[in-house]
Amino acid sequence: MIDIAVLGAGPAGMAAATEAARRGARVMLLEESPLPGGQVYRAPPAGFGAKDDPDRREGDALRAALAASGAEIRTGCRVWGVGGGPLVPLGAADAPFRVDALGPDGVPFAVEARALLLCCGTSERILPFPGWTLPGVLGLAAATILLKAQAVLPGRRVVVAGAGPLLYVVAAKLLAGGGQVAAVVDLAARREWLAALPALAVRPDLLARGAAWRAKLLTARVPVLAAHRVVAAEGEGALRCVAVAPLAGGASRRIEADALCIGHGLIPATEATRGFRAAHRYDAAAGGWVPVTDADGRTSVTRLYAAGDGAGVRGAAAAPAGGRLAALAALRDLGLLDVAAHEAARAGPATAHGRACRAGAAMARMMALRPALVAAIPPETVICRCETVTRAEIESAIGDGARQMNQVKQYTRAGMGPCQGRLCGEAVAELLAAHVGGREHAGFATGRIPLRPVPMRALLGEFDYADIPVPKPAPI
Amino acid sequence: VDAGAARDMLGGVAETLRIAGIARPGEVAFTHEGRRIVAPQGESLAAALIAAGIRDYGAGRAAVCMMGVCQQCLVRVDGALAQACLTPVRAGMVVTAA
Repeated sequence: MIDIAVLGAGPAGMAAATEAARRGARVMLLEESPLPGGQVYRAPPAGFGAKDDPDRREGDALRAALAASGAEIRTGCRVWGVGGGPLVPLGAADAPFRVDALGPDGVPFAVEARALLLCCGTSERILPFPGWTLPGVLGLAAATILLKAQAVLPGRRVVVAGAGPLLYVVAAKLLAGGGQVAAVVDLAARREWLAALPALAVRPDLLARGAAWRAKLLTARVPVLAAHRVVAAEGEGALRCVAVAPLAGGASRRIEADALCIGHGLIPATEATRGFRAAHRYDAAAGGWVPVTDADGRTSVTRLYAAGDGAGVRGAAAAPAGGRLAALAALRDLGLLDVAAHEAARAGPATAHGRACRAGAAMARMMALRPALVAAIPPETVICRCETVTRAEIESAIGDGARQMNQVKQYTRAGMGPCQGRLCGEAVAELLAAHVGGREHAGFATGRIPLRPVPMRALLGEFDYADIPVPKPAPI
Repeated sequence: VDAGAARDMLGGVAETLRIAGIARPGEVAFTHEGRRIVAPQGESLAAALIAAGIRDYGAGRAAVCMMGVCQQCLVRVDGALAQACLTPVRAGMVVTAA
């Protein structure tokens, strides 16, 4: 039994594990990637160089502190099960949390912890449009991983589209890597960016980087289409061109490209908090459904904590302080830190968190879901790629009486495939929300294990049906 | 297209999509649907396929999220299902459609 299990080694998880382990707690940090870092601070694979940039330095600092903290680091692990804690029979008291995972070698293991700290980050929202399943269409966040960690261009001539600062990060990195950017297609009007600037005043470093990205695009004569959206991706078997149009309506134009990097914001990963039946609230400006937490990351479930973007999108800069606050709260709740020491220790990270969150919230608002994009999806467009379910089929299920996300899933199989609704869930929920009076009423699909697909044989281990004791039939 | 020409063509694409000036480990060879592909050891399989000009990993599916979420880049590696974006390239691996 350990004190604290931390899920996710992004900036929040690395800082949380570091803080708790430094103060003497027995901590295990579990991460799916081969190295700690998360998406923004993702480390390149062993033996790969990377261009020096502020993200690289920040990530290296967090990794170094983590390595020196004494926390047990288990990378390359797929966590598929969370349980224990409140999920025990009524009346059974004080059960530890249990985390089930597959190790990098494919060997399953489990760990029991007195407290569970979730730093599961986000996944990218990509709202469907005709042609979005064509090879050559990929996410904006995907492009940053390809460019930063793998140093591979997604294509020779790339359209970068969607919402938020990632647009300009990706476009600038494409140019720096020798790629061609055919166009940046920004959902936001220029006035929306201008309105976000005052909140960024506390982060002059970000403002400077943003200005440098814009300058690079200007120098390279990259067209930046403000208040535009992608209408369709076209091509036979692979992307050939991207049709774009003004958001306000009007004629579309075609841009030749062999890759389209598109993203419509970030969605907090809440499958674990949903699995524990923690209280959630819908907050579009924080990315959607988020667990209800206090200022220190305590969820509604005793000794279950959430920090970083998985608790509401506030960006990588805010995440380490959020992780530290949650770790300190867990230490106090476990009796490993007295009240006075806790109050003294949390003051620094609380201030840092508040400041970083103001800038992060402004960026998160730029990436909030735009319902108009879902309304524009044609009926024959596939929404759920795993199970090939179209908008028309989803609306037919709603017409038949589906009123909650679980029902739409059961009627249509949308969200039942291997991605478990992570790619289609936002569009399905918006389509439903339009009929039931908002996302709060549409709800979310129940969080269930396995949290990620895992091979059956890895879970069964040496199990054999012949080993099941079969009682002798009772005499008649 | 004979195998040699296909290899040259893929090699040409690979040259242009890998960003220059980045230190990389030595290259190893593996196969995808019977084609020989060369990539730095440890590069993600999804990146290696994109760099080799292969976008369709089978049945029109291609890498979307690159972070293990979307399951669209599912392939078989030496017979077992694997997400290409989470699988490092190893010498001799046999990659087929899922």
